[in-house]
Amino acid sequence: MKSPIDFLEILSILKRRIRLIVLMTFSITAAAGLMTYYLVTPMYEASTQILVNQPPSEGEAFSSRELETSRELIETYNTIITSSRILDPTLQQLGLEQSRSELSSQITVRGEGESQVLRITVEDSNQAEAADIANTLASVFQEEVPQIMNINNVSSLAEAEVEGNPSPISPNIGLNMGAAFIVTLGLGIGITMFLELLDNTIKSEADIENELNISVLGQVSTVNVENRPDLEVLSSAEKSQGSETYGA
Amino acid sequence: MVHRKFKNDKNSRKRFLLTTLENRSPAAEQFRTLRTNMQFMQIDRKLKTLVVTSPLPGEGKSTIAANLSIVLAQQESKVLLIDTDLRKPSVHYTFEISNNIGFTNVVTNQAGIKNAVKRTFNPNLSVLTSGPLPPNPSELLASNRMKRFIEEAKKQYDYIVFDAPPVNAVTDGLILSSMVDGTMLVIRNGKTEIEQAKKAVGSIQKVEGNLLGAVLNDCPVKDTPYSYYYEEG
Repeated sequence: MKSPIDFLEILSILKRRIRLIVLMTFSITAAAGLMTYYLVTPMYEASTQILVNQPPSEGEAFSSRELETSRELIETYNTIITSSRILDPTLQQLGLEQSRSELSSQITVRGEGESQVLRITVEDSNQAEAADIANTLASVFQEEVPQIMNINNVSSLAEAEVEGNPSPISPNIGLNMGAAFIVTLGLGIGITMFLELLDNTIKSEADIENELNISVLGQVSTVNVENRPDLEVLSSAEKSQGSETYGA
Repeated sequence: MVHRKFKNDKNSRKRFLLTTLENRSPAAEQFRTLRTNMQFMQIDRKLKTLVVTSPLPGEGKSTIAANLSIVLAQQESKVLLIDTDLRKPSVHYTFEISNNIGFTNVVTNQAGIKNAVKRTFNPNLSVLTSGPLPPNPSELLASNRMKRFIEEAKKQYDYIVFDAPPVNAVTDGLILSSMVDGTMLVIRNGKTEIEQAKKAVGSIQKVEGNLLGAVLNDCPVKDTPYSYYYEEG
């Protein structure tokens, strides 16, 4: 490519290799979809809600500052829940064989908006197990927290339930395919540009005039033989005579 | 037809002649334009002998040499097409004629021009096939006999077109280029590398050949029912 880079030139370069780009993009996008569908274990999630209520301090009205403190506490609860104090009994109760850190990575704890409600979400390849873990975590938490902190007002709002026909939260086939599509499209365009940079062949009259400084006497175009049955095909004997290297 | 096209496989190459084309076809028109442009290049110098060559094999020399000869003959000029590719001759395939006797026989005085030349479908177009392949093509082409042969042929024909080997591969094309009035370089669109073309141009200029210009082969044609937009060459 010559500088300045001409937008139309880029378009024509892309057009010339459109088959490469389209084929690559669609095959890799399809492969990503199939791999996601067949190879990645679907994950399910279950969550349970817990209300953590601080006993009001003496003499003070229920204030916004207090609410803020409660939300700060949620961070603390988050750490507590993913600590061994909670995880170990949970693993024990459920008889699970996974390690503490494995379990910890399945758990997400977050506050519900501005409230004092805590949501414990568990991801697992099995919907029922996800619900079991979430509920066990919640009950262990309820038992343990009063001993750790000065709180006695932890109550369960909603238990995790097993849905009849749960839909997996991951993998997201559409998302994976979309990402694969965008990445390979970019890659295809990149490869095309790269090939174009490597391609040092003459591709136009202008190339001859600019690079060789000789005039162009004429052009001969490609004629599609297959579409012209009326054409006589000569030099068929050449084939039997072996390859034609010089004749051209 | 004018042009052969090959898909994927080199062995499926086919070569076409304007004989089978109606005169109004775009391909015939392209060769007439080439003829006109070529004739305009001969302002100071009478252009009677012409070498058609290319940087490397497979760029379309023989097809273009043959069809250019045909359009020259259509102008009521007496044209002789000579296959001077003494390493891989192909003109006899293109015109489907025998190669028992030809150019090498004439140059080595084994036969006269009249006996060796073959007639074609066009009464104005004669063809001289390569003849038996010599062990020393370059020496044969550079010989004094070759010069005498050209002088002799010039008396009998208006145009003599030499189908030569590629200049970057062997020296034959350059030898011819230095002996004739004009040289035409065939360049295949999307196949001939710029460096190879530059090398060919440099070589021809070094032997002081009169480089008329280039013919761009295999161009994508737009707006004709006979073509693709972008066909792989």
